[in-house]
Amino acid sequence: MSATVHLSEDYRDRLQEVTNVAMGQAADRLARLLDTFVVLSIPHIEILSPADIAMALHSIDNSASVSGVCQGFIGGGIAGEAILLFNDTSFTDLARLLKYDGYLDHDAERELLMDTTNVLFGACLRGIAEQIDMTFSFGPPMVLGQHQRLDELFNPKEATWQQALVTEINYKLEGYNVNCDLLLILTEDSIDLLCKKLDYLLT
Amino acid sequence: MTSSPKDFLHEFHWLMDVLHNIDVGLVVLDLHMHVKLWNGFMQNHSARSSAEVLDVCIFDLFPELPEAWFRRKLQAVTVLHNAAFTTWEQRPYLFRFKNYRPVTGAAEFMYQNCTMLPLTDATGEVNHICLIIYDVTEVAINRLQLQQANAQLRHISRTDGLTGLLNRKTWEQSLRLEFKRFQRYHHACSLIMLDIDHFKDINDSYGHTAGDEVIRRTAAILKEGLRESDVAGRYGGEEFVVILVDTDAAGAQVVAERLRTRIEASSVPYEQHIINFTVSLGIAELTPKISDPTMWIDTADRGLYNAKRAGRNQAIIYHT
Repeated sequence: MSATVHLSEDYRDRLQEVTNVAMGQAADRLARLLDTFVVLSIPHIEILSPADIAMALHSIDNSASVSGVCQGFIGGGIAGEAILLFNDTSFTDLARLLKYDGYLDHDAERELLMDTTNVLFGACLRGIAEQIDMTFSFGPPMVLGQHQRLDELFNPKEATWQQALVTEINYKLEGYNVNCDLLLILTEDSIDLLCKKLDYLLT
Repeated sequence: MTSSPKDFLHEFHWLMDVLHNIDVGLVVLDLHMHVKLWNGFMQNHSARSSAEVLDVCIFDLFPELPEAWFRRKLQAVTVLHNAAFTTWEQRPYLFRFKNYRPVTGAAEFMYQNCTMLPLTDATGEVNHICLIIYDVTEVAINRLQLQQANAQLRHISRTDGLTGLLNRKTWEQSLRLEFKRFQRYHHACSLIMLDIDHFKDINDSYGHTAGDEVIRRTAAILKEGLRESDVAGRYGGEEFVVILVDTDAAGAQVVAERLRTRIEASSVPYEQHIINFTVSLGIAELTPKISDPTMWIDTADRGLYNAKRAGRNQAIIYHT
């Protein structure tokens, strides 16, 4: 295994471009589904170590106002996991957003988190997959820290990988108190293949 | 792949066989929620044949399906061209089917995960949706049993086996917590120490099982007579403690008096005997003079000592 994965400036730009286009499409689809304008940040792309990712997840254990949901995907040699971090998000607003009219108990709140993740992340990854001509299988979303503390679930010291390609996107929804960060994490061994796909796209 | 019609039919036939026999539920719905495919798994578990369900609206067939929720899910699938999921932890099932093992299975219904997939036509439009129903009963039961076992272990590690009151480790934690809370907010808080009078005599006259009965009865009266926010624990032997939050010494005296009279009025039948017994109680309200939790216990213990010296069967406040 290579000690450091290097993502050249060129590939980073290409990936940035692909993600921008995907996010534009995603925003359009989400607006139609949710009847609200979705404000997306410009995707931020970085190579991160397990410790960096553990740090990002740390907030879920330590703050009652942060919730996290993860969802895995795989296809054609590219695999990864999306993690959505909800910061100080109001559950009543999420319910309003997804037109959920039942009583909000703890299970319903978790379902809202999972549904929101599926919708936000699905819209985004679909746009990327279309451009690089791939299809992915999705696992069901899982609420993090529900059964186990995250520091037990993911220990960066025991990770078998050194780097991952992380795309970070911030979502805000107009008129709703919903603010979340999507971390799209691609495994180390997916990066080469992704670069090849990006080569096809731009030559 | 060959394109001869005969081969195609042949291939189609065994593909359908796979769909029909796979041990996963497959349902295809059109956008009007009419059933278009209903595989063997669904037929067998619902006891409804394809002929009964095809082209019928799913909500007419299964009125228990939460319609608003289900439509909302499927709308996301059609608009986003994106799969949606439900898991048993949020909704135990979509279709109420029997557990696969009606005899030895621990669940009365099948726990299900469900994936909802968009199906596109030749023009790329989504006009059908596929539901995949997974039987996850085994996983669900294992997880539920694990949760139950953990809850039981937690309970066991916190309580005293004989009385079911909090054990010493646990109520001492509460005591420390209340002490800290007092230092910060100065809310009134009192501690009662309670001791069964002449307990050694009960053991000597009737035996240790009778003594255990008396201890159990005392614990039961404590549990009944306290508010939810009060903490009752076993100190050890025939001694008990009660932490009364938001209660000053006078209030604690009322509680102590109530416990004392109830215990005095109760009797424990044992073999051919009726055992009557009484308790003595010492009360200590937290004051700034009490410098740590141990001193708080000592203060209540002094009240208890005074109650014993004054003739037992009474509650005495020790003022610091």
